[in-house]
Amino acid sequence: MSDRRLYVDYLARMEGDGAMDIVIGENGEIKKAAWEVWEPPRFFEAFLIGRKVEEAPELVQRICGICPHAHHIASLRSMERAMGIKVSEQTRLLRELMHYSDWIMSHALHIYCLAAPDFVGYESVVAMAGNPDLLPIVGKALGLKRLGNDMIVAICGNEIQNRTSVLGGFTAVPSKATLQALKERLKAAKEFAFETVKLVVSLGNVAPYNKLERKAEYVSLYDPKRYPINEGRLYSNDGLDVPDEEYPIWILEKHVPSCNCKHATIKGKGIFAVGPLMRVNNNFGTMSADTKKIAAEVGFSVPCFLPYFSIVARALEIVHAIDASIELIDVLGEPKLDEIKYEYKAGESYAVVEAARGSAMHGGRVDKYGVIQKYDLIAPTARNIASLEADFKAFVPQLLNLPDEELTLKCEMMIRNYDPCQSCATHSIKVNLRREK
Amino acid sequence: MANPKVAFFKFSSCAGCLLNVLNIEPVLLTVLSVIDIEYFVMAKRDNHHGPYTIGFVEGAVTTPKEVLELKKIREECAILVAMGACACTGGVPSIKNFSGMNQDQLTKTVYAENIYDPFLASIPAKGIDFYVKVDAYLRGCSYDLGEFVELIKRALKGEDPLFRPHSVCNECKLKENVCLLVSKGQPCMGSVSAAGCGALCPSLNRQCEGCRGPANDCNAASLAKTFMEDLGLSKDDVVRKFRKYAGNTPEFSKGAEAAL
Repeated sequence: MSDRRLYVDYLARMEGDGAMDIVIGENGEIKKAAWEVWEPPRFFEAFLIGRKVEEAPELVQRICGICPHAHHIASLRSMERAMGIKVSEQTRLLRELMHYSDWIMSHALHIYCLAAPDFVGYESVVAMAGNPDLLPIVGKALGLKRLGNDMIVAICGNEIQNRTSVLGGFTAVPSKATLQALKERLKAAKEFAFETVKLVVSLGNVAPYNKLERKAEYVSLYDPKRYPINEGRLYSNDGLDVPDEEYPIWILEKHVPSCNCKHATIKGKGIFAVGPLMRVNNNFGTMSADTKKIAAEVGFSVPCFLPYFSIVARALEIVHAIDASIELIDVLGEPKLDEIKYEYKAGESYAVVEAARGSAMHGGRVDKYGVIQKYDLIAPTARNIASLEADFKAFVPQLLNLPDEELTLKCEMMIRNYDPCQSCATHSIKVNLRREK
Repeated sequence: MANPKVAFFKFSSCAGCLLNVLNIEPVLLTVLSVIDIEYFVMAKRDNHHGPYTIGFVEGAVTTPKEVLELKKIREECAILVAMGACACTGGVPSIKNFSGMNQDQLTKTVYAENIYDPFLASIPAKGIDFYVKVDAYLRGCSYDLGEFVELIKRALKGEDPLFRPHSVCNECKLKENVCLLVSKGQPCMGSVSAAGCGALCPSLNRQCEGCRGPANDCNAASLAKTFMEDLGLSKDDVVRKFRKYAGNTPEFSKGAEAAL
């Protein structure tokens, strides 16, 4: 008997270019379990050296088309910290609303366009739309995604790359009337958000998905008073609790001889995972009242260590993002255009935000002329590679009775559970770039 | 008549332009009823080889492997569209071409260890028309959704989309915006940059950064002088401006060279 190999050379329904290679020995042992990102590198950390500090947030949002706002805000916060710039309360709230808009868009995209087709047996959302029974729900899903996009456009001017948010504040702010109109649409979207939670629980809470559990260290931002999106302490369910700017001190990269990629570990500890499921586990207490209510109704509780339930965490975060956005719009009232004022100052700092798909870190060193001397960024996907490989090793042996085609799909889904952004991840994956053939 | 076969490809880029295809939600299902998407790995699992009627390419070309793939894609597509700044001009990835570092230094800066991997053998980032003939350009980072839908409509009728070649200033004037350059002394790139975005950034009180690349007959050298002599920008500041989204183009090169 020979080894069984599951190989997908270009993984679908994910951002970027990656492959999966799993080799199972004749006794069912996992000989190789690799997720290979071979998205070509673009050298952001190198070409940012010598650029002006105000260009960093503008350029780094171009790392990723799906989570541009996460990279952008992490960059803004780290560079402002480095130069001692204080922004207004309104700017902080608008940035939060901007990022929640991105979560609504990104989570709706992931649940319906990237993940759901796997669970219901279609090759894509386009194919799902071809079924008259599913067409209405696809229509509603696109409506929810559009709402996230319309919020982003109202704040940033454009769906993908924001135009208004700059170091120190905003060049333009939405009017009260615009925000109020969005608030009405957010209120109306609640019902479909509840439906979405129920739907994904019905998809995920079946065998084998609800049996595949792996206890692990879950890392996210944490704030005892407020669900963390742009600010908070770097926290884990196993004792990590440090200021977010200390990320480079606490999260280390380690080369594992048996594996062909670098693993991220917590200083003095092991591997970990980031993402919505991890965030919900660490911060369930500060989710909105309606989020907790629907969670109770569908029987979801924390701690939850079922990676296939990440789709449930995303759906719950849509409910929370809607509630949080409505509250932010109320507090913002009629936004005023703040004057943007700062001076260049030498400094170095880092900041973490919660991208839709997990914690992202940016930061670096600036000189007194505002020229970048060093720049670092860590995308959530890069942090999850070790965790994904641990999922493969834990779960594939439990699924060996499945035929190749089905087992391959289940493994692809294990990758999609992390909603990976392979463009983002590229720079951290060093030797994992060779395709076997 | 069968629907035209459409394909979406990605090279070195952020995937934002591909994602933007799905951002036409109000008309998405209608568009999908008149085209057949044959290849779009980011959105579907079941993908087919060419030939295709229209191929959209996102991303700059930064590896020898991508050059080969692009040439094959060109053969397979009756109409080839450069989608977004990276595919049109090299975009943000092209900044590395002017970083002052050679590829070895760039690689070592990002990938601290001294490893050799043929995959990291990156070449200068170029727009796709450096290697193949391109039939239409969706300019900008990211491109304008109205232009995207217009291009599909025109392609279905076999017509040229006739995108405008004039500068962002034209659209800015039509919007009756206060001029950021003349009135506020901001180094706005609108006068040398291609229109079609509806003067998006200046309308939001943000100076144009030139993400759509050069307008026809633009005078970048003159604007570079204005930036230095009238606004007091440093030589380095001006060079950075012209070597951001379209530093590869001969027009913006003149702007950078005027400062050097």
